[in-house]
Amino acid sequence: MTLQHYLVISAILFTLGIFAVLTRRNAISILMGIELILNSCNLNFAAFSRFMTPEDISGQIIAIFGIVLAAAEAAVFLAIILAIYREFGSIRPDEVDTLKG
Amino acid sequence: MVVPLISFILLCPLAAFAVFGILGLANKRFPRQDYLSTAAMLIALACSFLLLREVVPSPEAHTVDWLSLGNVTFSMGFYLDSVTVIMLIVVTLVSSLVHIFSMGYMHDDPRYPRFFAYLSLFSFSMLFLVVSDNLLGIYIGWELVGLCSYLLIGFWFEKDSAANACKKAFLTTRVGDVGMFIGMMMLFTKFQTLSLYGEDGIFTLAASQLTTGDMVWLSIAGVLIFCGAIGKSAQMPLHTWLPDAMEGPTPVSALIHAATMVAAGVYLTARMFPILTETSSLVIAYVGGITALVAATIAIVRFDIKRVLAYSTISQLGYMMLAIGAGSYVAGLFHLTTHAFFKALLFLGSGSVIHAFHAMHAHAHDDEKHDHEHADDEEYILGSEIPPDQDMRNMGGLRHKMPITFITMLIATLSISGVPFIFSGFWSKDKILAGVLGRAMEWNSIHHYILFVIALLAAGITAFYMFRLIFMTFFGEPRNQEMHEMAHESPLSMTVPLIVLALLSFPAVNTLWFNKDYVKPPQQSHLHAPTHAQLAPDTKTGGTGVALSLFGVSEAVAAEEDAGQGTQDVHGDDGHHGSAHTAHTIAMVLSIIVAGLGIFLSWLFYHRRALSAESVATTFRPVYNLFWHKYYFDEFYDGVLVALTVWKARLFARFDGSVVDGIVNGVGLVTRDILAAFVGFFDNRVVDGLVNRVAKITWAIGGRIRRIQTGAIQTYLFVVLVGIVLLILIFRVL
Repeated sequence: MTLQHYLVISAILFTLGIFAVLTRRNAISILMGIELILNSCNLNFAAFSRFMTPEDISGQIIAIFGIVLAAAEAAVFLAIILAIYREFGSIRPDEVDTLKG
Repeated sequence: MVVPLISFILLCPLAAFAVFGILGLANKRFPRQDYLSTAAMLIALACSFLLLREVVPSPEAHTVDWLSLGNVTFSMGFYLDSVTVIMLIVVTLVSSLVHIFSMGYMHDDPRYPRFFAYLSLFSFSMLFLVVSDNLLGIYIGWELVGLCSYLLIGFWFEKDSAANACKKAFLTTRVGDVGMFIGMMMLFTKFQTLSLYGEDGIFTLAASQLTTGDMVWLSIAGVLIFCGAIGKSAQMPLHTWLPDAMEGPTPVSALIHAATMVAAGVYLTARMFPILTETSSLVIAYVGGITALVAATIAIVRFDIKRVLAYSTISQLGYMMLAIGAGSYVAGLFHLTTHAFFKALLFLGSGSVIHAFHAMHAHAHDDEKHDHEHADDEEYILGSEIPPDQDMRNMGGLRHKMPITFITMLIATLSISGVPFIFSGFWSKDKILAGVLGRAMEWNSIHHYILFVIALLAAGITAFYMFRLIFMTFFGEPRNQEMHEMAHESPLSMTVPLIVLALLSFPAVNTLWFNKDYVKPPQQSHLHAPTHAQLAPDTKTGGTGVALSLFGVSEAVAAEEDAGQGTQDVHGDDGHHGSAHTAHTIAMVLSIIVAGLGIFLSWLFYHRRALSAESVATTFRPVYNLFWHKYYFDEFYDGVLVALTVWKARLFARFDGSVVDGIVNGVGLVTRDILAAFVGFFDNRVVDGLVNRVAKITWAIGGRIRRIQTGAIQTYLFVVLVGIVLLILIFRVL
């Protein structure tokens, strides 16, 4: 298992996440996509930390921060979705378009 | 020691006023402004007496440079000679007594503290005027006392009459002051200085530089400066303000409009004595003489106790002017001093009488009452309405009610009437008469004979109307029983000043004037010499200095000064004692005769009632009317000067309404209808068009661009992704 393996996996995860964010018609699914993107990043941090600077584990710690961040973000995101649902009766992002110019 | 003392004398009253002023800014009052002001004056009085000991026989000036403009330097300073010191004492003494009197008289006034503050300011200004050694300083003090006079005449400004009187006083004196200022500027143009004394002073320069050809010019300057004195000392024809000034509180009348400020004109004329030419002297003498006579005749028919005294003041000031104009420098100033004391006493005494009557008459009540009284009174004329508490027709028999006031006023009356030997007024008046007659005999001048007769007549009339006042007020039966019941002697704070002033009416305290070494008249340099010599060739060798000193100081009365009862057989050391002696004897005898005659007639008319004043008045109706209407001066000013001013104002108003307004409106019309129309067009089309075009373009672009913003998050994200990919590709490629 070399660094390249990890990066490939991470890239695949990232692509899947982007795809989900762009194509899903459900806010929850978009959230899941975002989680995939975040996790791909975490994976990158951990992999680079492991292979490039084995003595220094700050990259891995940043990955843990990233997970915490993702959890917090998910909480806020879900709260926003709830609020949007109350306001619009829907969580489909293409129906919530009052911010258009 | 001299300079600090003078400074201290000046600073005391100024400080008392400053306390009032500074606290006034903070809307506060010093609780005992009356004590403060009075204490300041008493200290100044004490310092003045110290100066009397300090002052050296030779006059001295202390100056500092005040202001330099180009190569002209104005200096400020003190000039101290015997006359200055005596004036300082007179001013501080009368002022102190008036302060004390006012504590009683003004006690219930709502603006009681302010009254004392004004008195302090006045005292400072007057003292400043007295000690100044240059015309600029005198002028500053001169205007300051004018201001104080204005403030104090209008002290009861709720009364229309008082408000009008103070304006009248201020404006009338201003007329004279303009003349004075022109005179000062004439001297300044010639000599480039306003200092009077010293090497570079006007007097020295005038003596050394002027030639006979300059006499006309110098006469004009002298008369113009005298114009200031005409206004301030209420001489004809600017005298009309002084009787109206009696609208002020009585202590003010005593201090300012009898004893000190009005005497400032005499003082100024005396100060200018060295540069008075023969012509200007004669003008001064005539103005003084005519004023003395005319004012005295007016006083005969007044019923308002204060107006009698006011006209009496004008008359006596005319006397002093006459003395100085006739060259009797010392006599004029001597009379100024004695007059200050006895006239202040008369005014304070009348204040005491008014105070006695006043209790029952509130001001508001007064006004109402005589408005009503005079509504259909035919003889109603300007300034002649009499408050009942000042009307002598309401008085009578007061001598039992108010013994102190009666006795002190009687002393003053005897003094002003010229009752011989034991009263100071006799000596000073006699000196003036002797001076005028002496000059007439010496110069053989018809003018001075005329002036002597005028002065003698005025003296007789003075005795008459003064005793008329005494008889009507204090003798006989009470005319108004109700008011008589209420009358009472005044409190101690009012009677004590009366007693002190009464003591000052005896000559013993005026001894300084008899001491020829103490008061010396200044030399009138050589200015008289040429014409003078033609008139009286025998005076040529003696020179004018001798001629002047003859009547003025030369009486060596040192021996008699304490009792003041000695004979007056004194005369000059040199030259003309023959004529001076004759003049003196004749003058004294005549003055005693006319005074006696005046008093006797007064007694016949107003006490014995052997003659009826009313029937005499009816017999000589036109004359009586002339006196009653005060020679129609007020009517003349009203009918001519005021009417002219109003007419002129109307003319200007019409000019203003048609021409000036027309121009303004025309310009307005042109601006609005032509210029503004063009500018408006430009604004609407060009400027607004530009602004609107810009806005429209922006609007159109915005309308297109807003489509991009769909509101769909995923579209945004897609655009972002594409952008990132593009950026990556670009950076990879580059």
